[in-house]
Amino acid sequence: MTERHGWMTTLAFRLAAVVFALLLTSAVLLMVGAPPLEAFRLILEGAFGSPRKIADIFVIWTPLLLTAAGLLFTFQAGLWNIGIEGQIILGAVFATWVLRIFQGTDTPPGVALTLAFVAAALGGMLWALLSGVLKVYGGVNEIFSGLGLDFVAVALVLYLVFGPWKRPGVGSMSGTEPFPRELWLPTLEGFRLSPWALGLAVVGWLVTMVLLLGTYYGLRLRAVGRNPRAAYLMMGLSSNRIILSAFALAGIFGGLAGAVQVTAVYHRLLPGISSGYGWLGLLIGMLVNFHPVWIGPVAWFFAMLNLGSIQLPIVLKVDSTLAGVLQGALVYSFLLGEGVRMKWLARRRRAGEAS
Amino acid sequence: MKRYWMLVLLLLLVALGLTACKKATPTPTEAPAKAEEAAPVETEEPAKAPEETEEPTQAPEATEAPAPEEFVFGLLLVGPKDDRGWSQAHFEAGKMVEEKLGYKMVWLDNVNPAARPGITPDQLAMELVDKGAKVVIFNSDDMYDEALTFAQENPDIYVIHISGDHVWKEGKRYVEVPNLSNLMGRMEYGKMIAGCAAALTTKTGKLGYLGPLINDETRRLAASAYLGAKYCWQNYLGKDPADLKFKVTWIGFWFHIPGQTLDPTQVANEFFDNGYDVVISGIDTTEALVQAKAYREKGQEVWAVPYDYIHACEEAPEVCLGVPYFNWYPGYRQLIEAAAKDQWESVFLWLGPDWQDINNLETSSVGYLKGPGLSEEASAQVDKFIEELAGGLNLWVGPLKLQDGTVYLKEGEVATDVQIWYLPQLLEGMEGQSVAE
Amino acid sequence: MNVELRHISKFFGPVRANDDITVTFEAGKIHGLLGENGAGKSTLMKILSGFLRPDRGEIYLDGQRVTFRHPADALAQGVGMLHQDPMDFPAMTVLENFVAGSPGGLTVNRREARKALQELGEQFGFHLDPDAEVASLTVGERQQLEILRLLWLGARVLIFDEPTTGISAQQKERLFEALRRLAAEGRTIIFVTHKLYEVEELCHTATVLRQGKLMGRRTAPYDLDELVQLMFGRVLKMERKPPIPLGETIYRVENLVVEAPRVNIRGVYLEVRRGEVIGLAGMEGSGQRHLLQACAGLLRPSEGRIWFKGQDMTGRSYLDFYREGVTYLPATRMEEGLLPGMDITQHLLLSRPAQGFFLDNHWANGLAQEAISEFRIRGRPDTVAEALSGGNQQRLLLSMLRPKLDLIFMEHPTRGLDMESTLWVWEKLLERCRQGTAIFFMSSDLDEILNYSDRVLVFFGGQVSAPIPAEELDAESLGRLIGGYGFVPAEEALTQTTAP
Repeated sequence: MTERHGWMTTLAFRLAAVVFALLLTSAVLLMVGAPPLEAFRLILEGAFGSPRKIADIFVIWTPLLLTAAGLLFTFQAGLWNIGIEGQIILGAVFATWVLRIFQGTDTPPGVALTLAFVAAALGGMLWALLSGVLKVYGGVNEIFSGLGLDFVAVALVLYLVFGPWKRPGVGSMSGTEPFPRELWLPTLEGFRLSPWALGLAVVGWLVTMVLLLGTYYGLRLRAVGRNPRAAYLMMGLSSNRIILSAFALAGIFGGLAGAVQVTAVYHRLLPGISSGYGWLGLLIGMLVNFHPVWIGPVAWFFAMLNLGSIQLPIVLKVDSTLAGVLQGALVYSFLLGEGVRMKWLARRRRAGEAS
Repeated sequence: MKRYWMLVLLLLLVALGLTACKKATPTPTEAPAKAEEAAPVETEEPAKAPEETEEPTQAPEATEAPAPEEFVFGLLLVGPKDDRGWSQAHFEAGKMVEEKLGYKMVWLDNVNPAARPGITPDQLAMELVDKGAKVVIFNSDDMYDEALTFAQENPDIYVIHISGDHVWKEGKRYVEVPNLSNLMGRMEYGKMIAGCAAALTTKTGKLGYLGPLINDETRRLAASAYLGAKYCWQNYLGKDPADLKFKVTWIGFWFHIPGQTLDPTQVANEFFDNGYDVVISGIDTTEALVQAKAYREKGQEVWAVPYDYIHACEEAPEVCLGVPYFNWYPGYRQLIEAAAKDQWESVFLWLGPDWQDINNLETSSVGYLKGPGLSEEASAQVDKFIEELAGGLNLWVGPLKLQDGTVYLKEGEVATDVQIWYLPQLLEGMEGQSVAE
Repeated sequence: MNVELRHISKFFGPVRANDDITVTFEAGKIHGLLGENGAGKSTLMKILSGFLRPDRGEIYLDGQRVTFRHPADALAQGVGMLHQDPMDFPAMTVLENFVAGSPGGLTVNRREARKALQELGEQFGFHLDPDAEVASLTVGERQQLEILRLLWLGARVLIFDEPTTGISAQQKERLFEALRRLAAEGRTIIFVTHKLYEVEELCHTATVLRQGKLMGRRTAPYDLDELVQLMFGRVLKMERKPPIPLGETIYRVENLVVEAPRVNIRGVYLEVRRGEVIGLAGMEGSGQRHLLQACAGLLRPSEGRIWFKGQDMTGRSYLDFYREGVTYLPATRMEEGLLPGMDITQHLLLSRPAQGFFLDNHWANGLAQEAISEFRIRGRPDTVAEALSGGNQQRLLLSMLRPKLDLIFMEHPTRGLDMESTLWVWEKLLERCRQGTAIFFMSSDLDEILNYSDRVLVFFGGQVSAPIPAEELDAESLGRLIGGYGFVPAEEALTQTTAP
């Protein structure tokens, strides 16, 4: 079987998976009494209906892309960085912290915002390194430490929002006082989209691609991820250092995503600041088999779904969690398709051997 | 491989079959809506009928551009539209506006960061504007900043922010925004009645208040409940106010968000477990009532007072002492009509009960619907209390001290609206946090 | 009960674990099943006891054809197997384990079971406390429990898979006694082992498997040399290592002690010179892998010192050895040596010193092409490792060895390779020896050990002998040593020589 042939079957399976996902979603839509075609049309209209909406896709895409890009490093190193949610949150906390220091001073907003992003990267990195250190030196599986640190991060935000950073006289989890306008990341006139945030995400994505596809570092990451024992024996690679560096990078990206959420989306800190992009990022990574190029379009597609699906409850009066169902159906179909493809390939290979 | 195709084929067939069935189903007639209009105001039908009328089959209409003469208003609900609390009260008021005034409503519920991650209320308001809305109602304190931002950025859209104080000239945070109005009900009265009913019912003399988050609004409502309770305890039962325990526990938000707020179910349980036999709810959902029912079924004599929504008692009538509820219809009517007739003015509306009949849905913005859990005797006394209030009884009169002992109102001093709205702490005699730690 | 296996074949992918095996085990006898690890003994027994289903072939019990879908089927027909690792429930008591799996299930009469356990135990001299937790028992006691359980369930054919590993000498005596007694009662006993002397001591017949094939069946008394030959075969025609002038001492260990479960290596003194080849011989699992890893810094020895190129490397990690010019080549290629999902080019890039920060694809491609042609790998630069055949995976592994190495540790350098490839691999390795590389390798192929080693370390039962010059050994004598005959642990050899 030639490579090309393999590529084409892959594409065929992927397309079949998309079709299957659409069918699955249609079935669910029908069950709740909504016409599927109308629903899909509404999602598209809700995402592309106006320049403002298209810009809004990018608003969601920005933090999501950063998160997904960061996750590639840990994915490639064979790690399940479940702690990504916490890393986003810590980034947001650090960014808020810096902005609170500079708010109301004469510091130029550009400086304050830059420092906020640097601090966010640092915060995310530290949080991720906690998982890494626990894994490398404590033998704690990163899934457990990540889950734990996610909880701790939310608890930290709750503490801050109810405690030191509360609005005067208020005790609500709905967040801190919004920052003054000058500390919002500047947006395009008439849009919610900040070109700065978008630029950061795209640069981050490019850096990820180059690092993973074009450098020894990326190669080593993969080696350790695929087979740490072989990397150790045959290549003299210490998986510990590589694991730590992967965590650090994922944390930096997650932290930056948190800073984007604070400075360009919510303009304040709130417990839900991560918007679940960590989980979504993990899903995207799995979906594209952790390919650095494909995370971009797939993350964009998810952002589009998120935005477009708001139309479902507004117009069709069905719950917009259906967007989640659609995403779930997609992932499910892809995984199913992968499974079927693997089986199919194995059978072909066996058939090839037998003949 | 053949079997997979069979499966897909089967799915397709099922899908086609369902669409066919769907088309065959006749569109529901307008009957339920009419029946509802005919029904007396206080029956329970109105609560349910609107749900039935909003059918997906109407949807395609909504996507078409609204007819030119149709005036559209938008409603953003912080919680689910059927939460039997705050959001449902708003939703049904909106339905009433649709039916009685002929305006068209576009709405979206669950507008909060936990349910709609990454999407902000002002963004969603824009979606409603895209659907033709000329007025957008932000129904929650949680949208405080976004409502203002949205109003400022879209001067040609009328914005109603519920529970806010942005355009209150006497208020602390006044901003001049011509297209923004604030609307709130004087729930202080409802809460006083609730407190009275609770005090008249309790056997242990311990009242629990299940509070949402802490802010000006929630403090003054909790305090009102306490004032009502203390008054009835003292004057109707002739007991010493020092023997009345009144404890407030805040969960952190208007409703339960797992992992981010306290669990109201647990808070209610704790109250009941510790001898607090009446729990007054200040949150948007009905956990206190549900738990009271559960404890009652276990044989414990407990009661609850839900909040917000006229039919909240229905979930567990036997333990329900009644519900202080918002009726947003009068306020909505006033503001939306003004917008539709080009008579809009930026106003701060803080609407009270219609003392002729506090349960008149046409006129009374705040009401109290007594529940079956209230004894006959207590019921009569509650009626008497309402009469007294209607006759001008004011409990926000000095001497009143704040929780930390500082004087809030001097002897004989009557609290102004500003003093009440911005109550800085809980009152002396109340247990619980005044401000966030 | 007579057991008859006819034309049994079982394939795992391309591996023929059992290849057309026909054999009979008569009732009332103890049958030894001999063979190296991987010879197919366990597979055959798992088929007989219903854990595996054969791809081809039939099983007959007393002339009746039977098919087992499940171990319970086999047990119902009277065939029970004791596995190498006890398959019991450690958290439960002896009695609970005893009744587990009985057809009555939960409704078993515990009082009756307790009685049966005690009576059976007394018969065989097994003293087990019914209420003790299984986790607190020794391996031997767990084995005894399992035997009693199988007997209680009515097993008439009992299969023992390497039952003497991990039990005390006393327990072994008791076990052998029990086995003789069971055979005398008319039961069929199948005793799976690779230890020659156990077969000689215990078994009435010996059936030998090699590489999935039946090599023959002999009855006691045995010709041990013949058994050795049946087990290991003599098919290789390897050239003896040509004389290579040895250089200076490059590696030295002193009084190395390696302890692990079932491994007790003591008294290793060794000086290795450039160009020298040290062979580690023994049945698989006799401790040679432990020593090899300890020598490379992959395992921490409990005692002893290691010098490499004049430096004291005691307690240093493998990475330190690696940096100094050492590589350890594992036997399981996909598990420990290669990166699944990564191609030949990437493997080579990673095993060479980095050329800067960014990858040079052109250079990398050249590197891969070169390795492919030099090592005759049947693949392209972008072929992923798992798509290569076993032999080509081994070639890729060898191509990944850095050009300049001082010391190579190898597990089974030619396992799974055909004759031609084997000779070729050694040609490559000897080429390195000529350039001054020393090699440590372990192998279960006696000819490979004899032909390519300068000196041999023999392992038996977790112990190691003193180094023996290869020319003092031939296949028969080495085979006997591996089987434990005339084996003297290095430590004893030391005391013997130093005693007088």
